[in-house]
Amino acid sequence: MRRMLIAGAALALLAGCGGPGGAGGDDEEIAIGIIADLTGATGDVGTPYNEGMLAYIDYLNGKGGIKGRKIKAFSEDYAYKVPVAEEKYKKYVSQGVVAIQAWGTGDSEALRGKVKDDELPFMSASYAEVLTDPAESPYNFVVAPTYSDQMRVGLDYIAAQDPTAQVAVFHHDSPFGNAPVADGEKWIKDKGYQLGYRAYPMKTGATDYVGLLQQAKSQGAKYIVIQNVSSPAAVVARDIAAQRLDMKIVCLNWCADELFIKTAGAAAEGHIMIQPFAPPGADKPGHQPIREYTKSKGIDLDAKGLHFVQGWYTMHVMAQGIEKVLTDGKELTGPNLRAALETMGPVDTGGVIGPVKFTADSHRGSTASGIYQVSGGQLNEIAAGVEPKA
Amino acid sequence: MTQFIQLTAYGLANGAVLALAALGFVLIYKATSVINFAQGELLLVGAYLFYTAFVLLRLPLVGAVIAGVAGAALLGVAVERLVLRPLIGENPISVIMVTIGLAAALKAVVQMFYGTAPREMPKVLPAGTVEVAGAAIPLDRLLAVGIAGVVLAGFTAFFRWSRHGIAMRAVADDQQAALVQGISVRRIFALAWALAAVSALIGGILLADIAEVSQNLASFGLIVFPVVILGGLDSVPGTIVGGVVIGLLSQYAEGLSPGASQVVPYIALVLILLVRPYGLFGQTRIERV
Amino acid sequence: MPATATGVYHTSYASELRLRHTNAERTRLGLAVVFLLALPWLVDNYWLGIVNTIGIAVIGAVGLNILVGFTGQISLGQGGFLAVGAFTSALLAERAGLPVPLAVVVAVLVTAAAGAFFGLPALRLKGLYLAIATIASQEIIVFVIRRWGWLTGGQGFLDVERLTLFGWRVPRTSFEFTWYWIIAGLAVIAVLSARNLFRTTLGRSFMAVRDQDIAASAIGVDLTRAKLVAFAVSSGYVGLAGALTAHYTETVTWERFTIDVSIQYLAMIIVGGLGSIAGSVYGAAFIMLLPPLLAELAGRVRSWAPFLAEQLPAVQAAAFGLVIVLFLLFEPRGLDRIWQRAKDYIRFWPFRY
Repeated sequence: MRRMLIAGAALALLAGCGGPGGAGGDDEEIAIGIIADLTGATGDVGTPYNEGMLAYIDYLNGKGGIKGRKIKAFSEDYAYKVPVAEEKYKKYVSQGVVAIQAWGTGDSEALRGKVKDDELPFMSASYAEVLTDPAESPYNFVVAPTYSDQMRVGLDYIAAQDPTAQVAVFHHDSPFGNAPVADGEKWIKDKGYQLGYRAYPMKTGATDYVGLLQQAKSQGAKYIVIQNVSSPAAVVARDIAAQRLDMKIVCLNWCADELFIKTAGAAAEGHIMIQPFAPPGADKPGHQPIREYTKSKGIDLDAKGLHFVQGWYTMHVMAQGIEKVLTDGKELTGPNLRAALETMGPVDTGGVIGPVKFTADSHRGSTASGIYQVSGGQLNEIAAGVEPKA
Repeated sequence: MTQFIQLTAYGLANGAVLALAALGFVLIYKATSVINFAQGELLLVGAYLFYTAFVLLRLPLVGAVIAGVAGAALLGVAVERLVLRPLIGENPISVIMVTIGLAAALKAVVQMFYGTAPREMPKVLPAGTVEVAGAAIPLDRLLAVGIAGVVLAGFTAFFRWSRHGIAMRAVADDQQAALVQGISVRRIFALAWALAAVSALIGGILLADIAEVSQNLASFGLIVFPVVILGGLDSVPGTIVGGVVIGLLSQYAEGLSPGASQVVPYIALVLILLVRPYGLFGQTRIERV
Repeated sequence: MPATATGVYHTSYASELRLRHTNAERTRLGLAVVFLLALPWLVDNYWLGIVNTIGIAVIGAVGLNILVGFTGQISLGQGGFLAVGAFTSALLAERAGLPVPLAVVVAVLVTAAAGAFFGLPALRLKGLYLAIATIASQEIIVFVIRRWGWLTGGQGFLDVERLTLFGWRVPRTSFEFTWYWIIAGLAVIAVLSARNLFRTTLGRSFMAVRDQDIAASAIGVDLTRAKLVAFAVSSGYVGLAGALTAHYTETVTWERFTIDVSIQYLAMIIVGGLGSIAGSVYGAAFIMLLPPLLAELAGRVRSWAPFLAEQLPAVQAAAFGLVIVLFLLFEPRGLDRIWQRAKDYIRFWPFRY
């Protein structure tokens, strides 16, 4: 106790480093805080997502910024650890950011109450349903269809292929993985589908999932919906191939990417991917500006993959909101930005995500996902802009 | 029955890798009384060393394995010399902490050079499957079990009959007596770490081949504890039995209830500790209270 | 009374029992109090937030040090006990509608009970074997929390209401400021009570168990009782830290209480100094400050050398590991020992000893 001095002295010295900042005046930089996972459990996809965001800001600043004001992005790694995300968030608040771009489900949940209090518009790469309700989370904006909507699209697809199929849901054993599980079961009931449905938590760091697959097999599952990241999904794909099981994987969002194909190799062939963001290979008009930018910088967009695109357009939607505030001649504050995002009307992303539109009643930006099938080591579009059945 | 055979085959393969990881752990504990929390990271570094030699430097398979073994041995010696030796005689908790810091540093260094995305590596073991009583068993897992078996047998023979192996056992038994016999305890410590890194490298290569080259490999570090407690902290043959039992146990658990394998090894660990704390083959040297 | 003690000059039992003997010690205490009182006005909200997390960590680290440093029972189950405290307090306040102070008190008691239960293996095991057994309790507690869907209503996390004390809701504008006084107050109580614990029979019996259990039992220390009570007392502090985490961060998930957290706390008390209450404070501050400081440094480096930007996050992580390793190589007995040596150096200057 009496010796807290050392720690104290260090602290007092550091207090000065807290960092000034702030975006007050008319031609000052606009500060945005990015909480990214670069070294943590999801660093493999978090890194290109973060790069996409920073690339978009660089691209925008290259065009003169928004209404002549440049954007300053703070981006720090939080290694997928919630307490670190909270620390970074506080740091950004003290640096005077107008909006936050975060990453995972855990940190989005943890920060939900805080952004509400601080009135800071908040987007993240977590598409949990609970974040779309403005009554509960007034400052959270979800650009993509929620995990639940993706699950619904997946179930609609399965029901159309085989109305009586058994569906096994393999999910990450966390709030992220659990997010769409109950909604999927409810959807089957609501739509009167004859699908069987069972959920199985996946353990992390497994080298095989034969135990789970056996249980899915005794369930009679023909389709396996996976709500997890690509590495474990690829393990499932390889096990299915090795066991010569007649099962088709339906990957949601975070395993529906190039990494899955890369890690699963030949075993990835034929599986279905539900992916809200069109991969670079789909060559939508919206990919054009990204391609031009990456080419000029000597970046290989196809190697960066669809998460780069995802980061780019998530930041794009935020920038559109900021532009609306400035066009209306309002002061750039959290509540004004929130109002702008709610009223700016649909954002055109050139077909990369279905038009993104927020309203005061719903922060569900989009409900449409693309359905892809893996063939020849590529994501081939089966259907674009699919919404859950009305 | 087919299900059972399948689970057994996969469980054996996991158990084989676990045994290799545990072997390194036991070697270090036996010779130097250090609980090594960086065992998973040694596995990770091993896999990336092999990846570097095999894919990035395009060495032929045998060359890549030799380069990997050399690299791992060097790393083991360096760690022992620079990190562990200055702490000889210090509080065991401080020593544990050093290995934890080492684990963080090793993992981060791998990230620094290779990023966080999993790496592609051409398959080394054959990819086909064989049919055993109606169950499809992937060849690579069977071969992994075989390779691990040969390596473990090699290590066991080394301890039994080779000069250095006997010297290591002597040091483990009584350092001062060994010193009096003219055995260089320093060299034995270095040898233990080098061998531990090499056995982790072999486990890492097998894992990289049957799973992938990625950060996830380090998660094998924690599950080593149930293995070594079951086999006995200081027993080399114990690692084989422990690895196989824990590998099978978690596989059967996973076959019965999804996710159960995350906790079953630890429940087994507690039970073993309560019934037979020194493990199946360990020396009953543990201090009972 | 001299400025520094050069020997033992007590003339009464009362003076020997005093916590502080010299004027220098009293001056330092005074400075520390002034510093604690002034701190919230000196730093901005961001650093105050970090100070608050340090405060919570101090409570947890003091608890762990009672067990590991003073009783010699190595534990890697800290994360699990934090989780027990956090979930108990959050559930009682949210579901059962208990006032928060009461919920926190119950959480402390429940965690103490859980600690005593998971301390049972210590009756048969010691040293490294016990350390491994506590890894199991960590994994089992977290697994149970993950599997019990009813804990979180199936959503995997719990939202916790903004802290309301006797009808007064903590305002957002002075959130960190208000919490600073709550956390600092409790941390001071934790530190003082732990400091005094080791002047009681119970506390001394803990140390006797650590130093020589057989001798301790020979002079009449009930080993079973001492060990279980040590686990319970230690877990009580940890439960308090967990409960504070729940109400301070306003959200509880198991993801916050993994084995990494157990390791982090162990790092705090080892870097700070095992068997030293002050060391727990230094260690908690050191371990909690190191990552944000490294990030600060990385930010500077990035502006000088943008080409390093891609490697920097990994370099930060490596630096964290490396600092711990170098630290232990340099002074395995921690910050507390360094501080003692610094004091001795000043005291004996210009002589070397």
